[in-house]
Amino acid sequence: MKPFKSKLLVRLGIVVAAIALVASACGGEDDGNDSNDTQPVATATTPTETSTDVTGSVNISGSSTVEPISVLVAELFSDVAPGVNVNVDGPGTGDGFRLFCAGDADISDASRTIRDAEKEDCEANGVNWIELRVAIDGIAVMTNSGNTAIDCVNFADLYALIGPESTSVNTWAAAAPLAAELGSNTSLPDAGLDIYGPGEESGTFDSFIELVLEDTADERGQDATTRPDYNANADDNLILQGIQSDQGSLGWVGFAFAANASDVKLLEVDGGDGCTEANADTIASGEYPISRSLYIYVNADKAAENPAIRAYVDYYMTQGLDTAVSRVGYVALTEQSKAQTRNNWNNRTIG
Amino acid sequence: MAFGKVLDDKTSARIQRTVASSISRKGVDKKGTAFQMVLLTTLFITMLILVVLIFDVVQGGWEVLTTRLWGFMRGEIGSGTFPERLGVQQGLYGSFWIAVFVAVFAFPIGIGSAIYLEEYSRKNKFSRFIELNIRNLAGVPSIVYGLLGLFLFVEGIPFLTGPNSNGRSATSAGLTLAVLVLPIVIITAQEALRAVPSGLKEGSYGVGATRWETIRYQSLPYAAPGILTGTLLSMSRAIGEAAPLILVGATTGFLGSNPNILDVGSVRERFTAMPIVITEWTQKTNTVNEDVFIPSAAAAIVVLLVFVLLLNIVAIYLRHYFEKKRES
Repeated sequence: MKPFKSKLLVRLGIVVAAIALVASACGGEDDGNDSNDTQPVATATTPTETSTDVTGSVNISGSSTVEPISVLVAELFSDVAPGVNVNVDGPGTGDGFRLFCAGDADISDASRTIRDAEKEDCEANGVNWIELRVAIDGIAVMTNSGNTAIDCVNFADLYALIGPESTSVNTWAAAAPLAAELGSNTSLPDAGLDIYGPGEESGTFDSFIELVLEDTADERGQDATTRPDYNANADDNLILQGIQSDQGSLGWVGFAFAANASDVKLLEVDGGDGCTEANADTIASGEYPISRSLYIYVNADKAAENPAIRAYVDYYMTQGLDTAVSRVGYVALTEQSKAQTRNNWNNRTIG
Repeated sequence: MAFGKVLDDKTSARIQRTVASSISRKGVDKKGTAFQMVLLTTLFITMLILVVLIFDVVQGGWEVLTTRLWGFMRGEIGSGTFPERLGVQQGLYGSFWIAVFVAVFAFPIGIGSAIYLEEYSRKNKFSRFIELNIRNLAGVPSIVYGLLGLFLFVEGIPFLTGPNSNGRSATSAGLTLAVLVLPIVIITAQEALRAVPSGLKEGSYGVGATRWETIRYQSLPYAAPGILTGTLLSMSRAIGEAAPLILVGATTGFLGSNPNILDVGSVRERFTAMPIVITEWTQKTNTVNEDVFIPSAAAAIVVLLVFVLLLNIVAIYLRHYFEKKRES
């Protein structure tokens, strides 16, 4: 039995090795063939093609904030171009750029502009990008509707109330000295202060810091972050509930979400040019100071060779900017900004 | 009369009671009764949790399930702007093919390894070391298997797992989850083989059967119901996993294709799966289409529960079949 068994094992080993060799050889061939197959019809670069007869696939990844817009555009687009296979994913802006710069994603959704490190990454891989601004997301600063003592805050107040130096400040008035030191003359009410906001994992948290707190924190040599002792919540509903249940509450969430909520008062914000109410118009025009732009980044070379990407972005530039953005709760660009975005796309402006 | 003098009335009554209750066995086994009550309570708590959970999801998804069940089964993941288009077909497709991959890869390899370890391998330090490692592997967090899958199947062999999807396909997901449940399959199959009475095997050898004949005609048929139960439980585990799928690239937003569930052609394309669909939809709490996503998520949970239940029914049926075969 024994020698027979070991002989069998040897034979088995040889067979396995042979199969592995053949498989790897085939694999190599496959790889070559497939990459040729997946090359979209590079010859058809005429811009006259209509959406209906375009085929191919578009891979989109990136910000989960922008994801709903790209998904809705994909849904609408699939009705006019059933032959195009659009896949949308939302792992986050940073992850999206990583895939985009590696050439794995054709389009990157981003809730901020591309960073220098990401640019280098893209350049190293020979990826040329077209930056297209598609929507604006405002951040609303809000308090309980019963809190009538205050209507408008400026960045100094917000830094004094929420910034890193406000730890354990538990009334609005207690933040006044620091706010005054920073040049604010808002009279903060002598009411209890409870802060509700999104947690660190949230894009809204990052944006709030970047737009409101970062500059002051840098000037004062502090870390650009919030105070650690606030009610952080991943679910915006719970943030709103906190605001609704608490007279002295202060918090921030995405504008679209706060705009429809009851018992919540949106505070006007003074970014240096006077108190500005948060509404769709002031956010679109950029008057309201706490807002950020949302972008898509298109791989220029892939767009040039893949008609499906061109058709999808073309569609994005019309239906996307005009209807999809507001239907998923963001603020549409002004006509002027839309024209500029379309211009960047039509001219294939790199960078 | 003599007794009456030795014992007072109180004592004799107590003795009488004790004897009576001892005969009727009432009130003697107090600890036993208490233990039984504790066990009953634990069972009740378990059932209560299950009932509350099922009630909650069925209630949440009731409207979707009753008004547009067919559309929901055929629909696709999306932005929620068109509630009538939202559905789970793509998720079911992914989960179904993951189950197929687990059955095709994990079951034969796992059961084969178990048979070798139980019936052939010598019990020495080396085989004990291997068994220890298999047990450890069964306890490794699933996200680690996700990383392994990303490295091996997505980045390692994309030309096999998904030439058009950079390897981010149902194939990669299925292979990853097959690897994930492999240790569980091996362990449960081993336990089932170990439960085969040694008399059965010895009897078989005694009448001159070879090792192969003993395993083929005695051990395996006897162990088959146990092996089946274990493997199908591991299948349910694979279908419920979400974390590793995120790493191998399950799509969360929108999928261009919506293949029929039996369409093999799309197993190398981008994919999603039921647990991903559910996590994604439950996370849409702060979007404008929250009212569409939350009931849909509940309905998707019900669909997944039914899917797993169907699998378990098949398992129970097969188990009965093998048990009957064993008895005859």
